[in-house]
Amino acid sequence: MATDTLKGKASGAGGAAAVRRLFLDNGALSALIVLVIAMSALSGDFLSTDNLLNVGVQAAVTAILAFGATFVIVSAGIDLSVGSVAALSATVLAWSATQHGVPVFVAVVLAVLTGIAAGLVNGFLIAYGKLPSFIATLAMLSVARGLSLVISGGSPIAFPDSVSHLGDTLGGWLPVPVLVMIVMGLVAAFVLGRTYIGRSMYAIGGNEEAARLSGLRVSRQKLAIYALTGLFAAVAGIVLAARLASAQPQAANGYELDAIAAVVIGGASLAGGTGKASGTLIGALILAVLRNGLNLLNVSAFWQQVVIGVVIALAVLLDTVRRKAGATPAAPRIGGSKGKQAGTYVLAAVITVALAAATSLLHTGSASATPRVGLSLSTLNNPFFVQIRSGAESEAKKLGVDLTVTDAQNDASQQANQLQNFTSSGLGAIIVNPVDSDAASNSVKAADKADIPVIAVDRGVNNAKTDTLVASDNVKGGELAAKTIAEKLGGHGKIVILQGQAGTSAARERAQGFAQGLKAYPGIQVVAQQPADFDRTKGLDVMSNLLQAHPDVQGVIAANDEMALGAIKALGSKAGTSVSVVGFDGTPDGLTAVKNGTLYASVAQQPSELGKIAVDNALKAIKDEKIDPTIKVPVKVITKENVDGFTG
Amino acid sequence: MSNPDELLRIEGIRKSFPGVVALDGVDFDLRRGEVHVLLGENGAGKSTLIKMLSGAYTPDEGRILAGGEEVRIHGAQDSERLGIATIYQEFNLVPDLTVAENIFLGRQPRRFGMIDRKRMEADAEVLLKRVGVAVPPDAHVRELGIARLQMVEIAKALSLDARVLIMDEPTAVLTSEEVEKLFAIVRQLREDGVGIVFITHHLEEIAALGDRVTVIRDGKSVGQVPAATPEAELVRLMVGRSIEQQYPRERGEKGAALLSVEGLTRDGVFHDVSFEVHAGEVVGIAGLVGAGRTEVVRAVFGADRYDKGAVKVSGTALRGHDVNAAMTAGIGLVPEDRKGQGLVLDASVEENLGLVTLRKATRAGIVDLKAQHAAAERIALQLGVRMAGLGQQVRTLSGGNQQKVVIGKWLLADTKVLILDEPTRGIDVGAKVEIYQLINELTAAGAAVLMISSDLPEVLGMSDRVLVMAQGRIAGELSAAEATQDSVMALAVSNPTTTDKEAARGH
Repeated sequence: MATDTLKGKASGAGGAAAVRRLFLDNGALSALIVLVIAMSALSGDFLSTDNLLNVGVQAAVTAILAFGATFVIVSAGIDLSVGSVAALSATVLAWSATQHGVPVFVAVVLAVLTGIAAGLVNGFLIAYGKLPSFIATLAMLSVARGLSLVISGGSPIAFPDSVSHLGDTLGGWLPVPVLVMIVMGLVAAFVLGRTYIGRSMYAIGGNEEAARLSGLRVSRQKLAIYALTGLFAAVAGIVLAARLASAQPQAANGYELDAIAAVVIGGASLAGGTGKASGTLIGALILAVLRNGLNLLNVSAFWQQVVIGVVIALAVLLDTVRRKAGATPAAPRIGGSKGKQAGTYVLAAVITVALAAATSLLHTGSASATPRVGLSLSTLNNPFFVQIRSGAESEAKKLGVDLTVTDAQNDASQQANQLQNFTSSGLGAIIVNPVDSDAASNSVKAADKADIPVIAVDRGVNNAKTDTLVASDNVKGGELAAKTIAEKLGGHGKIVILQGQAGTSAARERAQGFAQGLKAYPGIQVVAQQPADFDRTKGLDVMSNLLQAHPDVQGVIAANDEMALGAIKALGSKAGTSVSVVGFDGTPDGLTAVKNGTLYASVAQQPSELGKIAVDNALKAIKDEKIDPTIKVPVKVITKENVDGFTG
Repeated sequence: MSNPDELLRIEGIRKSFPGVVALDGVDFDLRRGEVHVLLGENGAGKSTLIKMLSGAYTPDEGRILAGGEEVRIHGAQDSERLGIATIYQEFNLVPDLTVAENIFLGRQPRRFGMIDRKRMEADAEVLLKRVGVAVPPDAHVRELGIARLQMVEIAKALSLDARVLIMDEPTAVLTSEEVEKLFAIVRQLREDGVGIVFITHHLEEIAALGDRVTVIRDGKSVGQVPAATPEAELVRLMVGRSIEQQYPRERGEKGAALLSVEGLTRDGVFHDVSFEVHAGEVVGIAGLVGAGRTEVVRAVFGADRYDKGAVKVSGTALRGHDVNAAMTAGIGLVPEDRKGQGLVLDASVEENLGLVTLRKATRAGIVDLKAQHAAAERIALQLGVRMAGLGQQVRTLSGGNQQKVVIGKWLLADTKVLILDEPTRGIDVGAKVEIYQLINELTAAGAAVLMISSDLPEVLGMSDRVLVMAQGRIAGELSAAEATQDSVMALAVSNPTTTDKEAARGH
């Protein structure tokens, strides 16, 4: 009896010590647990099976890219090209399967081979060309992105149906991306822990010279390591595109940084020699939980970025602190400690579930009667969309609607995540301003399935049912812009066109409008058409370059006001005197320029009107009132004459 | 209240790191104008002790007194204020800055907010003259040899007006000539009233330079004795037992030639180097630093290229500049720079031991980790590697144990010709003897050993034959019986380019 009690006590103390040890030994894991508990405490929607699977899906692409990045980082390299290579592989898959009739299976193999080939080029430049990995992969970042734009011609390619199933669920609940993530994670763990190339990564990353003098063929191994990373990038690209049902040439932009962040949060050192697949998975999950939770909590899109940065720093700091505190060194362990390690994760899971469940009890019965609406904007990096938001927000305030606004940062996959988060948190209605009309279709279908009405604003959604589209007519607007400049020049003259971001529907439609409008004026000669990505700085740069080649240009059509304003900067005193500039959107800055005479005209949409009408209709949809399938908000050519009477 | 000559007093210092007590009650004191030698095996706590004085660590218990007053040293600034300067084994110099900039780093003389380069270089010149080294102050540190780097470090310490100078194994990397020069500078500083803490593993240096000796063993100060104490007594204090024989070479039967090097040449580096190493034999390569010894053995191992000549193992010629060819033929190299080239410091003992045999243990791309583990366990036991377990990071092992791991990985690969480049540098007396025993076991088992060493007694004590290199050539060969300090040094400073044939014949 006495011995029993003693034993019980001892194991109790051992348990407490084990918990302490667990937190000390796994900085990233503790950060993840803290985050999960905090999110469950703050949002009642977080801890549902649906939402947790969402988090899994949303982590999948980053995690798969990060598994690949783990290989290079462990071997003391870096790969900045994984995002671009993912986009290139997906583009190759969609392009060969849809436009060249290649069987899907072969197309998938082609895509994977593309990734491997890109990796081999990286590896060759680094191992035999002796380029620093940073530079070689930076070059590949640009080359792969460029090639995917070349192949796709700049527009997204819809995915063959059979591949889109990769974005579906198995047995109705297990999402395929999560499954692929787990499989790739196991493969990565196996490669790192058990294979010759994996063990070589640690040796090369730890001390390349010592590895070489121990007979490791370092150059050859590096070639293989980068090829392996390329393979993982290709798989990530396929999963990403399958989820969006379209291959986007601009997809996964900047994902390399997320991948690197995930690897480092997971405990790897950029100096090489350390890092594990499990750590990388935890790192990717931390990022996904954070984005998901911040969406659910309706944190302002701008603050989200701040919070994410702070959490990345904190997670790595926690790890540094724990190492200083003298926990066992994070040397990759082999053999006997496997069981103990598994135990660690089980223990972590149990603690998390218990605490999270306890905290989420706080939320029972907190459902309110206010109608909740989510608005996912393609970007907030542009005054036009900021105006849509402010129109929507003031209308929501007036009608007593609880409005959550998110910013997809022009990333179709991030938007898919946000829409998924909206759907799983059971909003009354969703307003979407798609980054890409094809890519949003899967997410919108999911919302339809959950009986949540969807209102599209500014751009439509293809292949999925939306309750209405609130938009101004881009093609019509483009025609108006062409007409305005042609008449100003008296039907004769040389003009340049600044196009929007390749691959967006607005850029395509406006360009189409310009072309149609100019048909009526054969005297107008278009001397150059170049993209400036809807961006003021790029507008300035591109226009400066074009002026070198065509100093005698008389007119400029820009696909938005931002680029027009950049072009005006480049033109200097010529703007409004010898060169007429026409912009698009009617943003406040654009209208000021019209007033000042530097911008001849702007084809004004009424963005705050778009936002307002979208919210109105969302509320109608919630109340099951009938709404029109398309609502056109008129566009207007604004010149000096009528600028004073116009309000966006 | 206290001795006015006393610069520094340490009382009952204790410092523990998670899992280890590094120092446990150490007493030490330093007076003006003395050289106080700190003696102890690697891992005894010498480095920890001097890091307390330089501000890298703070003690858990105990007192540090400077000039009779208790002080706390919390960082480099504190120790600088107290006039304590430290010269570590790994120099703290920025390779791409000039000598003058390094000496005055962070304290460059300024004029109107700009660095006054002229004054800085003039000041540097004075200091460099004081340490008696002819280096232009505007030379880049990268271009300097190791001995001159050390002189720059000393000049830097002088520029700080240091009253206490701590030197951590300053002679480990110097040739005997350079050591003499260093001693002259240290004696001069002593004359000037500087107190010097001197760490060394070379016992003969103690009598030559030291005044008092404090011996540290297992984190405790075990005694303070005058520098004239006999070496055997010092060793007994240091290792806690007496070492019967410092160089326990057991010469065996000489077998067939395993390694033959014929006319090996790399233009401008080494020329026409030929020698043989037989089974069961230890061949030592002596010479001054820069004589081309390391370059030759690296070329033999295939780590670097050579222009002419051949390397043969048991009569079969090897492809040049191919480490794998050399390894397959049974050659192994324990490099000079243990940490930089021999070990993956952040990896475990087990992984380091398995590095050379990694490929052999791989089937279809998958490593047989169980076999690797068993092999590592066996060899670690055989070599007596003192460690917490096979999972311990090699970074945290002492120098001697690290070296055993480097040798161990080659033993696992059944190496027939083992090349050892400075195998005992920075290793304490006890561990040295263990490594010598290992060499005996290897040769007894029929392997051949080629050993570079700058430690003359070691070369003389352990080699069956000694090759002496000078200026990239073999200046001569001496049998164990012929080799003495004088005969080796005479060849090492000879000029073999002209008297090639004469010298090769020896005496």
